Amino acid sequence: MSERPTADELAEAIEEFLAGEILPTLDDHRARFRMLVALNALGIVRRELAKLPPEDDAAQREVAARIRTGDVPAGTLARVKADVTARLQIDSPRYLDRY
Amino acid sequence: MIADMREALETVLGSISEPVLLPGGASKEAWAVDADGERLLVRRAGGGVIHRHTLSLRHEFEVLTAAHEARVKVPRPVAYIEDLDGREAFVMERLEGETIGRRIVRMDPVPDRLPVQMAEELAKIHALPQERLPFLEDASIDRLVVELDEVGEPHPAIELGLWWLRENRPPRREPVVVHGDFRIGNLVVDESGLVGVLDWEFAHLDDPVRDLAFGVVRAWRFGADTLRLGGIGAVEPYLERYNELTGFDVGLEELDYWEVAGNVGWAIGCLTQAQRHLTGRDRSVELAILGRLGAEVEYEICHLLERQGVS
Repeated sequence: MSERPTADELAEAIEEFLAGEILPTLDDHRARFRMLVALNALGIVRRELAKLPPEDDAAQREVAARIRTGDVPAGTLARVKADVTARLQIDSPRYLDRY
Repeated sequence: MIADMREALETVLGSISEPVLLPGGASKEAWAVDADGERLLVRRAGGGVIHRHTLSLRHEFEVLTAAHEARVKVPRPVAYIEDLDGREAFVMERLEGETIGRRIVRMDPVPDRLPVQMAEELAKIHALPQERLPFLEDASIDRLVVELDEVGEPHPAIELGLWWLRENRPPRREPVVVHGDFRIGNLVVDESGLVGVLDWEFAHLDDPVRDLAFGVVRAWRFGADTLRLGGIGAVEPYLERYNELTGFDVGLEELDYWEVAGNVGWAIGCLTQAQRHLTGRDRSVELAILGRLGAEVEYEICHLLERQGVS
């Protein structure tokens, strides 16, 4: 399973938002200090994520390519749905309650 | 910058109030101004483009004008401005009412005529004369495959949706002028019902039922999932009124087909929005996270295909 944005790309987007848009608006020196600490912590998370091996999406590519050619044996949907469910458990777990 | 913009606007509109930038709008700015006691909205180009196939503001203004002439409920178009402090823009009436989907589905009560009113506006839109809008592109769902390939990520659930759409295509209907994003969230609603249809940038020529079914897509029910039409009502009265006005015979089965298409289109839309962030064109957390929230739409595609008997 591989997804974009990756965890690091998401952390990077948060970092840009906090450092670029929120930090400049903080006047309270204590809030400013805590934001700098938070950004520092986020930097640690990003460096740790960067050490993980990149996820391999070869299996997903193969399934996608097979479906594209019309090769859809029975059971394909069930497997694909199980993969999507696993992604949702990370991306938006509460969404699953809607079904 | 606001002063420059105000000056440029005043050459067109006469004396106006201080422009106020409204929140939201991922790709375009919206400014509220009042001129001569009239509530106006200035729609101005932003940094990037939301989507390759969106209309320019000039063309969007022309579509809005044609819709207004055909008595579609839309904000009255006021003026197109080619260069408003460096970017193109147009001015239209600023309608009063609710546009936020989450709030509309929670109205107590939701206006009971809303589904029928939506059908009435859509019937008028689909009757707009194509020759009046020669710049509108013909678009078919085949374009979705191209857009998915441009993203370049493997998404088996979307592939399954595209496969099912190829295998089950209903007889082709003559293309008409379509709104392209006709759903709760792009409509102004008050307690009396539908006040106006907004956001015409996706207008194109297409199968009318694709447009009719887009408002049924679960993402646009804003959590009120049991009400299939945009979280505000049942789909049957909407369909019945639309058929009555257009003389078409759209049945639930055809609507189901295009509901799948609407979900596949929005699933790909989520990926292309995330690409705006990932490629650096428009850096934003809101766009980035859509790349992940697309999994919700993929789940809905699987759910709909299951109901169609795919295993």
